[in-house]
Amino acid sequence: MRQPQRESIQCGIAAQAVTVQVGTQRLLAQLSLVVRPGEVLALAGPNGAGKSTLLRVLAGDLAPTSGVVLLDGRPLTTFRARELALRRAVLPQQTVLQFAFAAREVVTMGRHPHLGRNTPAEADEAIVAAAMLKTETATLAARAYPSLSGGEQSRVSLARVLAQEAPILLLDEPTAALDLRHQQMVLATARELARAGAAVLAIMHDLNLAATYADQVALLAHGQLVAVGRPWQVLTAEILSTVFDYPIMVMPHPTCDCPLIIPAAYNTSALLSSQ
Amino acid sequence: MFRVRFSRLTAVACIAWLLVACGSSSATPTGSAGPVATTTPTRSSVGATTPVAATVTRMAGGATPAVATRGTSAASPVVGATPQLPVTVSDKDGRPVTISDVSRTIALTGDVAEIIWALGWGSSVIATDTSAIYPPEAKSAPKIGYMRSLSAEGILALKPTVVIGNDSAGPPAVLEQLRGAGVPVLIIANPSSLDTPAAKIRTIATAMGIPATGEALARQTQMEIDTAKALAAKATSKPRVAFLNLRGNQVQQLSGKGAPAQAVIEAAGGIDAGAAAGISGYKPLTPEGLVTSQPEVYLLFTLSLESVGGVDGLLAIPGVTETPAGQQRRVLHYEDQYLLGFGPRTGKMLHELTLALHPELR
Amino acid sequence: MATVKMQAQQVEAVTGRGSRLWWLAQRRMALFLPFLVVLLVAVALLSVGRGAVALSPAQVLAILLGKVGVGLDIPYTTQQAAVLWNIRLPRVVLSLLVGGGLAIAGATLQGIFRNPLSDPGLIGVSSGAAVGAVGAILFGLTAYGAFVLPMAAFGGGLAATLVVYGLARQGGRAEVVTLLLTGIAVNAICGALTGFLIFLASDAQLRSIVFWSFGSLGGATWTTTFAVAPLILVGTLMLPRWGGVLNLLALGEQEARHLGVETERMRLILIVITALITGAAVAVCGTIAFVGLVVPHLVRLIAGPDHRTLLPASALAGAILLTLADLVARTIAAPVEVPLGVVTALAGGPFFLWLLYRTRQAHGGWG
Repeated sequence: MRQPQRESIQCGIAAQAVTVQVGTQRLLAQLSLVVRPGEVLALAGPNGAGKSTLLRVLAGDLAPTSGVVLLDGRPLTTFRARELALRRAVLPQQTVLQFAFAAREVVTMGRHPHLGRNTPAEADEAIVAAAMLKTETATLAARAYPSLSGGEQSRVSLARVLAQEAPILLLDEPTAALDLRHQQMVLATARELARAGAAVLAIMHDLNLAATYADQVALLAHGQLVAVGRPWQVLTAEILSTVFDYPIMVMPHPTCDCPLIIPAAYNTSALLSSQ
Repeated sequence: MFRVRFSRLTAVACIAWLLVACGSSSATPTGSAGPVATTTPTRSSVGATTPVAATVTRMAGGATPAVATRGTSAASPVVGATPQLPVTVSDKDGRPVTISDVSRTIALTGDVAEIIWALGWGSSVIATDTSAIYPPEAKSAPKIGYMRSLSAEGILALKPTVVIGNDSAGPPAVLEQLRGAGVPVLIIANPSSLDTPAAKIRTIATAMGIPATGEALARQTQMEIDTAKALAAKATSKPRVAFLNLRGNQVQQLSGKGAPAQAVIEAAGGIDAGAAAGISGYKPLTPEGLVTSQPEVYLLFTLSLESVGGVDGLLAIPGVTETPAGQQRRVLHYEDQYLLGFGPRTGKMLHELTLALHPELR
Repeated sequence: MATVKMQAQQVEAVTGRGSRLWWLAQRRMALFLPFLVVLLVAVALLSVGRGAVALSPAQVLAILLGKVGVGLDIPYTTQQAAVLWNIRLPRVVLSLLVGGGLAIAGATLQGIFRNPLSDPGLIGVSSGAAVGAVGAILFGLTAYGAFVLPMAAFGGGLAATLVVYGLARQGGRAEVVTLLLTGIAVNAICGALTGFLIFLASDAQLRSIVFWSFGSLGGATWTTTFAVAPLILVGTLMLPRWGGVLNLLALGEQEARHLGVETERMRLILIVITALITGAAVAVCGTIAFVGLVVPHLVRLIAGPDHRTLLPASALAGAILLTLADLVARTIAAPVEVPLGVVTALAGGPFFLWLLYRTRQAHGGWG
């Protein structure tokens, strides 16, 4: 991979007092969050906490009712779509294609914002190839995207996002459809990009993956930020049990310096009696 | 239907097409009677046009019509006349059309074909449209397609010296293309009136360079019409007649004010039931509308009746049995061109219809 | 950079890029557009040369050269010249324009709506044009000149499209599903309006309405051809430059926006251009439905979904197929003309089924 451009490294993306209200439903309430270059921020929380809403606000898909999103210190709304595409890439949960584009063509689409910037075609090809190798999708290159499995589609989409070479990455559940090996691989890639200067935000449901690979963890509940910080600070038994309303144990991971989260086995009668 | 289409317009277009395809003045002619004897043209090849002694035979479901016998020549033949050409006539829009040669004439509509044959010049017609099925010679002539969807190049390939049709012929752009290729195109008016047959005959005869022959046939035709109307005037009954336009289950319409059938029904001493019920043009048949109009006689094209499976099929249409006509099975049917073609046989048709509508006159 | 190059080589190794087979496939695609151009010229020449009126190729040449002032010693009648120059040639030119325009408009709309079943009828063009045309006939506006009917149809089509787009837009954005549903609703309303106008129409008016509503190229003259040529030609030549954008739109609206496409502006531009093309085509030829829906699919089955190839190839293929269909329609039963829709559906339908079947066999699915 090429290194993200120097000048944008010191930036990142920040939500400032963002509120999203739909009807009487308040999806996000006065929420502020910063994703800094050089770090992977894992966004976790129970269903309906507002994770995807926050990602959509950060991506510019959803205009907040109040508050502002700053990218490189500039309000998001002042960017043209193309400028934005050069600065941030978004991996959606799922990309459905009606037409039988080959996986390779899909990845190449990630190069679109760079078109006409005098990048030689060979360089584009090399970047696409590298992205596909990194996501282990090179063998799928000639296959029609709609014929791929969910996990394969997900990795091809990730390759497309990598090919975009944006310094800010917003990933919506990048590991959801993946097998165990590819989950690790994808998050390792995310961390590698962060080490190279990218700002990465990833929505994650697997708290152990978050604990292993995230530099920062943000816990969301009811549209509000409950805790942000290092995994050890945020992923505590106390906080998690409260946020998820479920008994959760946390212990040191046997091999790496991160917490290991173990939820209690689900027991209907025990839960009933505890209430 | 003809074509595969997906838009909503399709349905509308199909309905409209059917509607129009069945429209009265579009009528497909089928002979039931021969024309009056007419002039003997000078041309040598007129053998086929020998006038048929006409008997009005085909008709009527329930009624027993009187048979009008004719065949004696009423028109004075202009023996030995040569076409007076070139001639300039006005078309329906008042546009002058100059015709200098009628040796290769194409009749674009059935009524025009019938009139040219009645004038004794059928042998100069090289092609007719598919609605021209009377006389048999017109039917067996080479075809140029249906009058509403003509092809300019197809017509030009036949090298016509003149093409003549009524205002149903088209599309207009094709007529324009024919004019552009230097072919005289004469489009004549065809209003739904009993003055129309004579007017059309005069115009066509003039265009063919045989005005005297035309005048004779026109007078003959008008006289027959007037005689029939006089007969109708003696009638004491005034039946309510509903003209139905049917194409199976797809198109079932009642004709009303301004539609061609009204003129014919009223001339025959009847009351147009549709018009009396406030309907104008052709409107979809509804059981309630039918019952409201209370027709005592149903009048149809033979093809319409056949399309619903005869009188029994007609009676199966909701509302039909609730009318006096349905209860008494009074159903009259005639071939399209005979009934509403407004051609040379109109007088005969009217006579026949009058007798069928008024039993007291028989 | 060295590692990048090495990795690229690995990709090539894995995917077979650079292999003989791959290059053959690439070359086949590279030859596809030129092949269509050659076919187009051949079909156009054949179409000009054939018809109910017999003309030898030499006569065709002599008449055409005669028009530009070059006299050849080949005899022909003035009527033959009139047939070729005033009837056949404008008709062939119009069929090329309309076939190409409808096909590229269909391909574009299928791309915008990410819906393989989209055709120009979907955004209200055809039904709006019908209202305009029927209204013009009913209110007697056609008496004011030959241009009134096409203008009314064109205006109606464009207006309906803008209504669809305007209604579907909310908060500066129009979601595709809303747009499609609005299109269906507006089509239904236009259909009802047309039906109502037809209900009011007199017998004679009804005839004009039917002439118009059945797609036909029979009325082609130089006047009508030149009237619509600029709209269709400019639109058809402009659309291919947005092939790359349409590829991104295939990923989804948000994805396209994330990749730098101003989706809202893009969609408005593309919809207006397709409406202009379709409106112009419908205005002079009535509705010819099959081409816009099926030709893009035929091309996609042969050349793949990449809109950068798909758009120009659809235009060429649409022009070829409609011209061929019209040639068959006007010659197979000469001097009678077979309705154009019968030919397109009868010839195109089974061919399309065969292609579908073959694709299913080869790829195990339609996607």
